[in-house]
Amino acid sequence: MTLTVKPKTWPGAIREVTLGAGSRQGLTIGGGKGLPLHTFEAAFPRRPLLALEITDVDPPRWVDTVRAPWDGALGRPDVAAKRAVEEYGADVVMLHLVGTHPDRGDRSPAEAVEATRQVLDAVGVPLIVKGPGGGSRQNDVLVRVAEECRGEGLVLHSAAQEDYKSLAAVTVAYGHVLVAESPIDLNIAKQLNILLSDANVDMDRVLIDPMTGGLGYGLEYSYSVMQRIRLAALGGDRMLNAPVICLVGEEAWKAKEVKVDGTPAAVWGDRARRGVQWEIATALPLLEAGADLLVLRHPEALAEVRRVVDGWFVAGS
Amino acid sequence: MALTGLQIFKLLPNTNCKKCGCPTCLAFAMKLAAGKESLDKCPDASPEAQAALGAASAPPIRAVTIGHGERAITVGEETVFFRHEKTFVHRPGFFRVLDASTPASAIEDRLTDWSAIRIDRAGEVFRVDGIAVVESPGSPEFAPAAAQAAAAHGLPVAILAATTKGAAAAAEPIKDRRPLIVPPAGADPGPFVALAARLGAALVVSGADLDSLAAAAADAARAGVADILLEPPGDDLATLHKHLTLVRRGALERIHPGLAYPVFLRVGAGEFSKAVVGTSTFASIMAVADSGGETWMPLWTLRQNIYTDPQQPLRMDPGIYAIGEPTGASPLLVTTNFSLTYFTVSTELDGVGVACYLAVVDAEGLSVLTAWSAGKFSGDRVGKALRELKAAEHVSHRTIIIPGYVAVISGELEDALGDGWQVLTGPQEASDIGPFFRDVWETARPK
Repeated sequence: MTLTVKPKTWPGAIREVTLGAGSRQGLTIGGGKGLPLHTFEAAFPRRPLLALEITDVDPPRWVDTVRAPWDGALGRPDVAAKRAVEEYGADVVMLHLVGTHPDRGDRSPAEAVEATRQVLDAVGVPLIVKGPGGGSRQNDVLVRVAEECRGEGLVLHSAAQEDYKSLAAVTVAYGHVLVAESPIDLNIAKQLNILLSDANVDMDRVLIDPMTGGLGYGLEYSYSVMQRIRLAALGGDRMLNAPVICLVGEEAWKAKEVKVDGTPAAVWGDRARRGVQWEIATALPLLEAGADLLVLRHPEALAEVRRVVDGWFVAGS
Repeated sequence: MALTGLQIFKLLPNTNCKKCGCPTCLAFAMKLAAGKESLDKCPDASPEAQAALGAASAPPIRAVTIGHGERAITVGEETVFFRHEKTFVHRPGFFRVLDASTPASAIEDRLTDWSAIRIDRAGEVFRVDGIAVVESPGSPEFAPAAAQAAAAHGLPVAILAATTKGAAAAAEPIKDRRPLIVPPAGADPGPFVALAARLGAALVVSGADLDSLAAAAADAARAGVADILLEPPGDDLATLHKHLTLVRRGALERIHPGLAYPVFLRVGAGEFSKAVVGTSTFASIMAVADSGGETWMPLWTLRQNIYTDPQQPLRMDPGIYAIGEPTGASPLLVTTNFSLTYFTVSTELDGVGVACYLAVVDAEGLSVLTAWSAGKFSGDRVGKALRELKAAEHVSHRTIIIPGYVAVISGELEDALGDGWQVLTGPQEASDIGPFFRDVWETARPK
């Protein structure tokens, strides 16, 4: 007797979104027609992409074990970007403008533009630009960067339900991609995309950031909301079928478990390796739950996730 | 998944004899499917039909218990594909691989260390769930001693056998402790099936594809092995993931009785990603070769995340938690016992680097705003909880910092605490705690 487990087929598919334009080499994500990584039963024209996070200023809150591979490049976005792409093999770079936060350097929008330009000049891959976080500074910074770097297909991170209009406008006006961030909530993710759509943002220029909980710090909430978003998208919901971006590195390296040595030492093991594996153990479940673009911090984590993804999309396709 | 009326109909004699009281066999089948009739009413039902209908009412994945006593581990009995559909029922067991050819004294040291590991995290205790004793092909005489030593520590034992003889020698003396016999890859299953059936031990079966895997399990069951685990094929992660997925889906859809068992995985040295995929994707017992904390800590934590009941958020035990090394003059903050809230706040406090006390009060596992709306984080309730936790004994001052979202409870909380307590309203978001300490606490702090 031959067993047949019926392949799952779905009416919907994930949208394809192209990151980068102008002087960037464009890269496209999305397009999956089945449950994430189910390459044995559905078409996946694009493999997930891996980005590395760099910063405009030396990030004081990065723990020593993730600072190490960036030695000499922290706070030097051009050097870090080159290293990320040429040495560490990142598909995409995320420039986190952490120094524009009023409490972490208070750098001006003009300085943010300068840092972005440095990265654009240094590498030819698509660029994600992340603002300092909620509040008016986020808009001031990202709007200026979007204006000054028009046509580069930047991925602007991010717009939220309470405050999306100015970023929606510059996305449309200057040919960028917008990340719509929602607080681990399918309904808000959908609502925000409807709002963006009403603001004339082409849905082919939107990514969903469902908000990442790091391993041990809410990963399961991100995991399940992403699975539910993916099921809705495959079911045909065109306001939830945008590709998903997850900021893995930022969340994984916040965990207490990557910062402390831990006692007894034999039970906690090597702290540096534990940190890298903490990031890997955050990244892989999120890939399974539907991430199309992962932003990592440690090049060794990227190398391992790269190995898994490359093997997967050769073996399974 | 229960059988449909038509599936049941095919199992009935199709004589339309009406002895069951229904006009046709089809009508009877429809009533059976709806649970409104019992198959006993059909005098001509075949044994196959009885077996099929009996199996259809059983859980789609059998329970399997390894070990004996307090540390025995039960896996299986899963009913869903996605954790959000209901919940995953039994956390997978992580067995630590022990090479039996290690000198006996070193084995005893390792077992003593490993069986004593206890990591408390968010209401769960992480432990080594069992020992997977590896029989060295050249020296099978060592495995029995190692297996007995592990069993003597009370730990469930899996025997990663090299030979039938070695498996028998290791399993026989501990057969009352429900060991798990794992034949070597590619071995003729026959002798191992006979051994497991004779000892009443659990058995891992494998196959080169889904068909042969299910057939091997069905054969073992027919030969009298009750407790079976499936080792799905897959040398690369994509192929493994495919089979993990199809085994679960096939079991839930009841397409073959040979798939109705939990899954076993071997994770070799350095195969961390395989362990991650196994943990998130349906593995029930994993024999993990690496013993370092850098591997086990993330795996335990991932298992905790994935196997949390989505309807029952993780809760912290109420208490006063020290962040850094606080003194009597350090800030005292209060929040709810929703673990995500606690983790967010405590991680931020850690990052800011200001030593302080964080009081976690029982708000039934709800986040701050939800708890307040539900009346679980009112001034009275928080005040009472802080008194019960003896918050005043930790600090020399009388200032409590509350989450910004519940500024409204300040007055009520001050009244509830009395004794000169002052309430300071903190930020709404944990990420603003740093500036809050700098700008507000530094000026408002009790001098």
